Amino acid sequence: MKKAKIIAGISWVFFCLILIIILFPGLNSFSLSVSKLPFMKLNPRYTGGEIADKIISKNCTLVIRKPVFNGFLKERNSGFEQLDWHGTIPEIIKASIDYDHDGIKDFCVLIDRKNSKTVLDPIDRKIKGVLISTPTSYGWAVRIGLIK
Amino acid sequence: MDNVLKTTEMRKSFGKSLLYTLPMFLITFMFITGGKPNFSDPSSGLAMIMVFLLVNVLYFFMHFKGKTDKYRAVLFIIFALSLSYTLIHNMIEVRKSMSFSQADILECRIPFCHLVIPMMILPAVFTKSIIFPGSIISGFANISSMVVLWLVATIVLGRGFCSWGCFYGGWDDGFSRIRKRPVIKKIGELWKWMPFAVLLMVVLTAALSMMPTYCSWICPFKAVTEFEQVTSVESATKAGIFLSLFGGLVVVLPVMTRKRTQCSFLCPLGAINSLSNKITPFTVKIDKGSCNECFKCVYVCPLYALTSEDIKAGKVSLFCSKCGKCVDACSKKAIHYGIRGIPAGTMKNFSRNLFLFVSFLFMAVFSAGSIINTLHGLLKLIF
Repeated sequence: MKKAKIIAGISWVFFCLILIIILFPGLNSFSLSVSKLPFMKLNPRYTGGEIADKIISKNCTLVIRKPVFNGFLKERNSGFEQLDWHGTIPEIIKASIDYDHDGIKDFCVLIDRKNSKTVLDPIDRKIKGVLISTPTSYGWAVRIGLIK
Repeated sequence: MDNVLKTTEMRKSFGKSLLYTLPMFLITFMFITGGKPNFSDPSSGLAMIMVFLLVNVLYFFMHFKGKTDKYRAVLFIIFALSLSYTLIHNMIEVRKSMSFSQADILECRIPFCHLVIPMMILPAVFTKSIIFPGSIISGFANISSMVVLWLVATIVLGRGFCSWGCFYGGWDDGFSRIRKRPVIKKIGELWKWMPFAVLLMVVLTAALSMMPTYCSWICPFKAVTEFEQVTSVESATKAGIFLSLFGGLVVVLPVMTRKRTQCSFLCPLGAINSLSNKITPFTVKIDKGSCNECFKCVYVCPLYALTSEDIKAGKVSLFCSKCGKCVDACSKKAIHYGIRGIPAGTMKNFSRNLFLFVSFLFMAVFSAGSIINTLHGLLKLIF
């Protein structure tokens, strides 16, 4: 029994030794495999949610995302709607959004990029206010607070 | 094999030490230089050679002098300093600032570190997603590679990761070495369970709020890496907490106690690593037959991992980070590196050689990139 324990201990050590030696040369492929695991994707709270619609005008594209109510065990009562403007965007941005696709506009947002001022007209009572309005590397992003 | 080793001497002759360093020399040469050092940029090539020599000289001295901790600490502290330099340098280069903005969060450009891992687990299980605004696979400090590095290190080294792999630990390790004697000599035993309480708190709050609460509110190392832009009362409060915890737990208390207080009382990942100490093949063992119960090991342990009761019972606690301070302090060599399954007091040299090779190789290769980057930056400033 004592001998078996020693052999098991030394075998475990040598397995770990090999693991450490192959870790760094194999890091890229190990990481790639890990990145393909089903839970290795960013939560919509960080990505902004799935893309629901794209409105393309002259040099600018407005990306409307699906509302995010994502919670730990169940959906939350409060969430957000993210809008992203890509490309060459004008100094003043104005958009009326129907985020729940019921055929009625839910809110209207006006962004003065020069003065970093964002004005929200909440048409629907589920619209709570502007959470984030910021310039980004691709243009501009806005998150509007929602309740269910 | 020295399974009936009678000698208590860990020192080796010059030639034997060179022989033991040879495998490390060859492997680090391959991993650090990629097999062919590139001198097209002389300062980068010089930095690479300096780091390669530094790690091998330190490893040689571990064998030649038979001591572990002081040579480990040199690389460990340099690693912590250089990693902070690399992170800050990267941030300033990319964003022209050490702070990150809302846009960086929205675009998921925040560098990931291993301290986030405990908070990822529950949301990953229940929502099948990661609650961190970083990159899954591409770019600097991405989530997948940090997870792989930590997972392998914690399986192989257990809490040894905290003394051989963590790029923050070197900060309080460094400050704990400044004074010769501690000003505060005794801290309540119960405090060492604090990381488990912090772990429980951050895991639950992160799951409920779907955000990494430790990083957002507590992490002292935000003070030396990156932090949220101060634009509101909330972000100013956070910055105040980061700076206070860094000042208190990473600077002042380590200097006063000569202990690594942030690692001992706060770090939630340290708590997880303590649990993985139960599966790692490497342990620290106490040979009760040789121990004269002088308790020097208890006095020097930087993580409150040893008590006089542990010594009497002949077992180190799960908090041990295998830093080697107790092993070096023991004049009887009664406390030594061991391998699971092998009885205490036997195969001491064999166990130490294997442990040093595995742990030092991990630290050398993991740290090399950021140390080279830092040296390169310094050399460019000088020349």
